[in-house]
Amino acid sequence: MPPILEARDVTRRYRVGSGDVDAVRGVSLTVDAGEFVAFMGPSGSGKSTLLHLLGGLDRPTSGDVVLDGELVSRLSDDAATRLRREKTGFVFQFFNLIPLLSVWENVALPFTIAGEDARHGEPADAVRAALASVDLDGKERHRPDQLSAGEQQRVALARALVRHPALLLADEPTGNLDFSTGTEILDRLWSSCHEGGQTVVLVTHDAKAAAYADRVYVMHDGSLRDEIRLGRREDHGAGQLIARLADLGL
Amino acid sequence: MRALDALARRTLVARPLRTILTIAGIALGVGVLVAALVLNAGLDATAERSVRDQLGRTDLRVAAFEERGLSAASLGALATTPGVAIVAPELERRTYPVAGPGSGAGLPVPVTLVGIDPAADAALHDRPLAAGSPLPLAGGDVALVSDALARADGLAVGGTITLNGSAASGPRAFRISGVLAAVPGDPDPAGRSVIVPLGAAQSLVGTDSVSRADVGLAPGGDVTAVIASLERRLTSEPYTLSTPGDLIAALRASTADFRATIALVAALALFGGAFLIFNTLAMTVAERARDIGLLRAAGMTRRQVTVLVLISAVHLAVAGVVLGLAAGIGLAALVTALFTPGGGVLGIRELVIPPAGLVLGAILGFGVTIAAALEPALRASRISPVAALTARLEQTAVLRARLRWLTLVFAVVGVAGLALWPGAGEGSAGLARPLAVYGMLLGVTLVSPFLVGPLGTLVGALARPFLPVEERLTRSTLVRDPSRTALTVGALSVALAVLVALGGVAATTRRAATAWLTDVIPGEAVLTSIRPVALDEPQLADLAAVPGVARISPIGRFAVSVGGRRLDAAAVVGADLLADGRLVLSEGDRAGALPALDAGGAAILPAAVADRLGIPLGGSLQVLAGREIVALRVVGIAARTIPGSSGEAVLVGWRDATQRLGVLGADVFAVRYAPGQAAPATAALAPVARAMALEPASLEALAGTIGASVDRLFALLTALAAVALIVAGLGIVNTLTMNVLERVRELGFLRAAGLTRRQARRLVMLEAAVLGAVAAIIGVGAGVLAGVILAALGAGPGVTYDPGWGSIVLALVGGVGLAVVASAWPATLAARLEIVRAVQYE
Repeated sequence: MPPILEARDVTRRYRVGSGDVDAVRGVSLTVDAGEFVAFMGPSGSGKSTLLHLLGGLDRPTSGDVVLDGELVSRLSDDAATRLRREKTGFVFQFFNLIPLLSVWENVALPFTIAGEDARHGEPADAVRAALASVDLDGKERHRPDQLSAGEQQRVALARALVRHPALLLADEPTGNLDFSTGTEILDRLWSSCHEGGQTVVLVTHDAKAAAYADRVYVMHDGSLRDEIRLGRREDHGAGQLIARLADLGL
Repeated sequence: MRALDALARRTLVARPLRTILTIAGIALGVGVLVAALVLNAGLDATAERSVRDQLGRTDLRVAAFEERGLSAASLGALATTPGVAIVAPELERRTYPVAGPGSGAGLPVPVTLVGIDPAADAALHDRPLAAGSPLPLAGGDVALVSDALARADGLAVGGTITLNGSAASGPRAFRISGVLAAVPGDPDPAGRSVIVPLGAAQSLVGTDSVSRADVGLAPGGDVTAVIASLERRLTSEPYTLSTPGDLIAALRASTADFRATIALVAALALFGGAFLIFNTLAMTVAERARDIGLLRAAGMTRRQVTVLVLISAVHLAVAGVVLGLAAGIGLAALVTALFTPGGGVLGIRELVIPPAGLVLGAILGFGVTIAAALEPALRASRISPVAALTARLEQTAVLRARLRWLTLVFAVVGVAGLALWPGAGEGSAGLARPLAVYGMLLGVTLVSPFLVGPLGTLVGALARPFLPVEERLTRSTLVRDPSRTALTVGALSVALAVLVALGGVAATTRRAATAWLTDVIPGEAVLTSIRPVALDEPQLADLAAVPGVARISPIGRFAVSVGGRRLDAAAVVGADLLADGRLVLSEGDRAGALPALDAGGAAILPAAVADRLGIPLGGSLQVLAGREIVALRVVGIAARTIPGSSGEAVLVGWRDATQRLGVLGADVFAVRYAPGQAAPATAALAPVARAMALEPASLEALAGTIGASVDRLFALLTALAAVALIVAGLGIVNTLTMNVLERVRELGFLRAAGLTRRQARRLVMLEAAVLGAVAAIIGVGAGVLAGVILAALGAGPGVTYDPGWGSIVLALVGGVGLAVVASAWPATLAARLEIVRAVQYE
């Protein structure tokens, strides 16, 4: 599989007061198409910042990010936006649904933003299918505040999946959910990858969530400290990962 | 309290833009109010000063009612009336100076000739000189000229000024003994006056009467007793008696409509400021609900929470009122300087800053701010410690609360305005119109929340083909906080409504002021005279003999006394009106009525006069002429006749006018050209007319002059109303900024999902455009309605309302344009959002 995502010596520096802080420093990595990769690490280790850089939401201070062959870190803002629109889907910890739009309208947003009418034709079929894939049939007309937290995150997931983007980026998608609901979300992400062939990049501090991944990068102080190769597994067992993390003192 | 004060300050400092916008809103509202009060005081002061300048130490002015003036017999009776010490007669006429060689073909600029008795005049009037010496007591052909005339015509002490006189006397030269100092109160509208001894003036114009006599009472004299005595003794001619107080009151009354309208504009500007205060504090409370909940959990009482919000309001009020007082004085000075040069359209001569007005402005500014803050303060105090951390306020309840508040603030502003506005207690007829409009606009604002949804969808549909993404997202945003949207739309629509109403009233006034030209004047051009031209003057035949002139029809404007009231009247040739197809009668037979005027003993009444006097068709109009009552049969009632100085004129025939009502001649001649001869005849007529001191003008040119004067007055009012529009614009900035800040995380996600910066910017601008368009639609509807009310209550029946299409188009385009301009900052804010921070924003 060719790499769909590549980071080349990426550094992201922030100015804090009178000094500089490197949130990400000198990270190089590749993610193959169809791969499920997770980033772990303690709070402040730079994993979310790296995800934002990989997804083109932010620009590195130095180094490059290549997304599906395009040097996203060098693109203009408009071009990077278009690339995001076509290639990526995001899931955030806080769902980020639009409270005044219905479930259907929230899921259809990627089509709306792309200027496509999601009320008819293929976009409508895609919305319907996305909602069905997260078991939200029949709740199309509900508003976000009429849903449980798990249902809201499923809506966010359906929204990320609806245009079948090549790359799914999820930032602590289970951070606000209980165990059972979180498992549903992770199962759905895994099936998108395993059955749908989409690439998934997951940021989490939860080893059970990271255990869904083929590979886990461990971050510390803005750098990649270790890479743990778990391989594709149906059972998502976290034992091997937890043992490796314990070896690393995490 | 000190801790609460510190907390309140920090709340305001935390949102500097919002705080500044709110202070600006209060300042502009208070500013317009103070400017209105300063202009009001300026008008009062001008009225008093004008009367003082004109009357000097006069206790009573006796003015002739008819053109023939007051006779020597009347002056004699006046001088011998008990209690009268001094009688200073004056003869006033307009005339032309004899133009020097090399002057153009047109008539020279006329002057006002005033004949005085130098000895008696000096006892009552001060006429300070810039140069030279006063008129000699012995009389003679000596003149004082005004400073403006001396400058304009290059006159100086020792020189001469030659004035045209009557046909019998011809021109006469006067030696200039002095130049009057430039002081207000010049009898000539352009300040071009010439004062000569009374005898010389009477000789020049060919009369032995005077225009008026100023009376000084003996020490201890009682004006009331003198008036009672004069009413028994002066029986030769009709006259009017005025004390200085009467004249001041009359001058004040002449500006009542203007004062009432600026009161309305000021109240609405203040309301706009109140809206901003309310919205700011409501947003702050909503935004800080969690903080307030935590404060309550930590032991802050409900009362302390209320006080905390009110302290914020007091800070805003102090800053806004102080700035507003300064802005109001500056605005009034600007208006006075821009719109009233040399006494111009309103005749405001001086800037008077009334301390009571400043206090009133400060009280109303504070009052409205605190009234606006009460509802958010009470709402804040009701936030429960637990609910604040989780619950979201239910929108319908908030909307109802805001509507209640809105009604309260509107009522407070309206009642306070009625109770405290200067002159409100002196018969509030003038305030009826603004109050009616105010009430109507209140209704519109209350209804607007229910119109925003459907109108927003309608307007959005127009943008859908071009901006489908932004349109869809816009619709959801506008209903996010319906009450905030509705209040923003309400404030803008009220400001636009005032502009549309003023535009409509201006157009209607212009139409009413000029329609008589085409409806009543039997011709296509007019010749105007500054003196009455007797119909038997032989030169009139020269006018009719000009090739291409089909008819010359004389019109003489004068005044009559009916039942103790002064009525405007005009002498016309009925046959000319009949032949020319002019004058539309609402009652009566035109073909019979117009010839009846020429036959005598008949009159045609304007509908407004017939209604006021209660005289029906066929009734009798009893006119006082000298000591006799002349009965004129009402043969027709017309929707519109010729305008006089204070209303439409009663039309009579020339036979009655000259033989029974003391009219000396015509001051206007309507000219009808032969078909196809207008251009050459106009050219040929001009020199003949000017040789007779008649100024030719086309009806179009006259309409243009009248219209320009109306436009100028309304431009002033519109300028004040535009400030209310600026306040509404600040409200839009506030609302849109809040909309952006409230959904930072949503915008962050949309940007992450592929919304470009340009789309984010367009999204906010489209929201603004939809807000502006909805406000413009509501504002135009309300404005037309308000204009109809203003015009109907002011102009009476028979005036067709002209909505003023220009102002409607301007309101539609301007409403959207203002909203889009106001969205520039919030749109930039949205476009500049950093996605990473936005998606993590709490």
